[in-house]
Amino acid sequence: MKFLLMLYKKVWKNMKKSNKMWTILQFEFLTRVKAKGFIISTILGPLFLIVIMVIPALIATTSISETSKQMAVLDDTGYIGKLLVDSDKSKFFLTNKTPQELKKEILNDKLDAYIHIPANVLETGKVEVYTPGGGGIGLLETVKNKLGDIILEKKLLDARADSSLVNFVKNGIDVSSIKVTEAGIEKDYTEFYSIFGYFLGFLIYGLMFSYGGIVMRGVIQEKANRIVEILNSSAKPMQIMMGKIFGIGAVGLFQLLIWGVIIIILSIAGSSLLPMFFPSSNPTEIINGATAMAQTKGSLPFDIPVIPISVWIGFVFFFFAGYFMYASLFAAIGSAVNQEEDAQQLQMPITMALIIPILFMPVIMGNPDSTLATILSLIPPFTPILMTARIAATTVASWQILLSVVLTLGTLLLSIWIAAKIYRIGILSYGKKPSFKDLIKWLKTSE
Amino acid sequence: MEILKVDSILKQFGTYRAVDNVSFSVEEGKIFGLLGPNGAGKTTTIRIITNIILPDNGEVYLFGEKMNSSLQDAIGYLPEERGLYKKYKVIEQLEYFGMLKGLTQRQANAQAKYWLNRVGADGWENKKIEELSKGMAQKVQFIITVMHNPKFIILDEPFSGFDPINTDLIKHIIMELKEQGTTFILSTHQMHQVEMLCDEILMINIGKVVLYGNLRDVKKNYGKNHLIIEFSGTGSFTNSIDKEKIIDISENRLEMKISSYSEAQAILRQAASENEITKFEIVEPSLNEIFIDVVQKSMEEYEKI
Repeated sequence: MKFLLMLYKKVWKNMKKSNKMWTILQFEFLTRVKAKGFIISTILGPLFLIVIMVIPALIATTSISETSKQMAVLDDTGYIGKLLVDSDKSKFFLTNKTPQELKKEILNDKLDAYIHIPANVLETGKVEVYTPGGGGIGLLETVKNKLGDIILEKKLLDARADSSLVNFVKNGIDVSSIKVTEAGIEKDYTEFYSIFGYFLGFLIYGLMFSYGGIVMRGVIQEKANRIVEILNSSAKPMQIMMGKIFGIGAVGLFQLLIWGVIIIILSIAGSSLLPMFFPSSNPTEIINGATAMAQTKGSLPFDIPVIPISVWIGFVFFFFAGYFMYASLFAAIGSAVNQEEDAQQLQMPITMALIIPILFMPVIMGNPDSTLATILSLIPPFTPILMTARIAATTVASWQILLSVVLTLGTLLLSIWIAAKIYRIGILSYGKKPSFKDLIKWLKTSE
Repeated sequence: MEILKVDSILKQFGTYRAVDNVSFSVEEGKIFGLLGPNGAGKTTTIRIITNIILPDNGEVYLFGEKMNSSLQDAIGYLPEERGLYKKYKVIEQLEYFGMLKGLTQRQANAQAKYWLNRVGADGWENKKIEELSKGMAQKVQFIITVMHNPKFIILDEPFSGFDPINTDLIKHIIMELKEQGTTFILSTHQMHQVEMLCDEILMINIGKVVLYGNLRDVKKNYGKNHLIIEFSGTGSFTNSIDKEKIIDISENRLEMKISSYSEAQAILRQAASENEITKFEIVEPSLNEIFIDVVQKSMEEYEKI
């Protein structure tokens, strides 16, 4: 027993002593975690992600049928105009002025627009909106939606439909999605999982881009400040490059852990705090499956399904695989240039490979089982983002997951091999900014 | 004992031969001067010795062992282009570079503090490099070179950026380490420092060795000695001297090149017959002069080819 302990100590000591990569890793990790930038990005990172994800979605869903314009309503029917004004008093108001007077007001900029509802609107279903021209699609959409609802309801009532039919027509139908499993059936959360997949894909994209960039800037800094000469006289280029990539990767993992812990704390606190903000729902409200389930659980107005552990494993694996794949190439580019500005051109292909999956993301999340989604998610540079998103959004066939893991690992080894060859020469080459041709030449020189 | 043996190393970048068949060896406890004009191939030679790059041909042996990455820990290297992390604290960097040379963190910390004290930099531990002056940063860089007690140290322009007081301080440390048995390669353009410090010199130009040997022997045998005579009298003996040989002449002082001792004796005899001699001295050429002369000659030869 004592012997084993001694052996262990000796081996450990030797490993620590000889393994320079470990020293570099430690230094990169500790100095970066202690820096102000880390604290700032830990706080602002999630906010930024939410902003770039949520704002376009919000704008897309709301703004198209929104308008800030005020409209006069010239009503020939005597009752529809009043219903329209009641539906939104901030936008519509009744008027008794003549069309000539209203047109004059529009020309004099006193009025944004006016709506003429003719007496026979119920038969023709036609109204006219007079504007000074333009005014945006939102204005017409607003009129169409509001007036459409009113006229539809009026016609249904005229046809002696009962009020439940009117409600049904107005609210449409509610589709609940049920997932079939071997154990029977359970409630499916397709919508939630799709959004969550979208979110995870974005997160991986953001992390790969920002941490890859940190690796690149670190390499450029060491080269520009000639620190690399000292490093190279102490360790092998491969140890220096990999130590840096591992160290900065560890910073990324640490940041994820912090976010994870915060989310867990918030959700524990949230489940006891949320009911205070959402008191038990109105009993007359139509209760659908989801709210019913939530109410029996913890009286939340909505419920969040459990995210399977496989999604988390997939996320962590593809985050690391993607990080190593891209960070090594970022390191190679950093080693080739003398200053950050020169990196832009060489960085283009990497940036493209990162942005393409993001562009396809909405299509793929719309139908995560399509052939397009399958093929794109199996192309190794796209896999980290797209496969993670698909695993979260749907049930991906296990052969696809296996294939993507094999392809990703192969690609990541290849990109490290390429990067190491370029790095070794690039880091000692000063002078003119290298082109892709030079990089390929370096790749071919063996040492 | 031979510490370093460089055996016909060759390094080519494209069509340009940066180092062309260079061989030399360095004895234990000596200071070996590596000289040459800018772009001669000194830095490439040093990078090959420190295992930063591999030669296309030839071998380097350190302590009798063929150069490999595990021997790097035994070398202390002060590059000409100094490199430090601007944003990090002095102690952080010293610990890091010490650990990269195989020290434990505790050892590195202790050595860093010892050497900071040695160079008069107490209390700099928590300063960032960007807060230091150039000379102060130079001291930190020097500490990185010596803190792991290497047996073999390469200094590339170690005095640049230092005032005379700090130059003396660094020189003292070098001499002290030498007495303890440390071997040095010193590369510098400051020839008077080489004359004061070096035991042996190697001069290279355009990648080739142009001068190699013991400093005293090199100077003695270079055949470019000067004669200085101070006299009072007519000075008419100077008229018979070849004008090309005269370096400096005035009312009662003559400095000239001589090719042999007998030539000097002949001039003395002639001068003494008609003047009173107050000073007669044969001076070895300065290394500066040898440097310029050798470089020019090798350039002429290079252009002929």
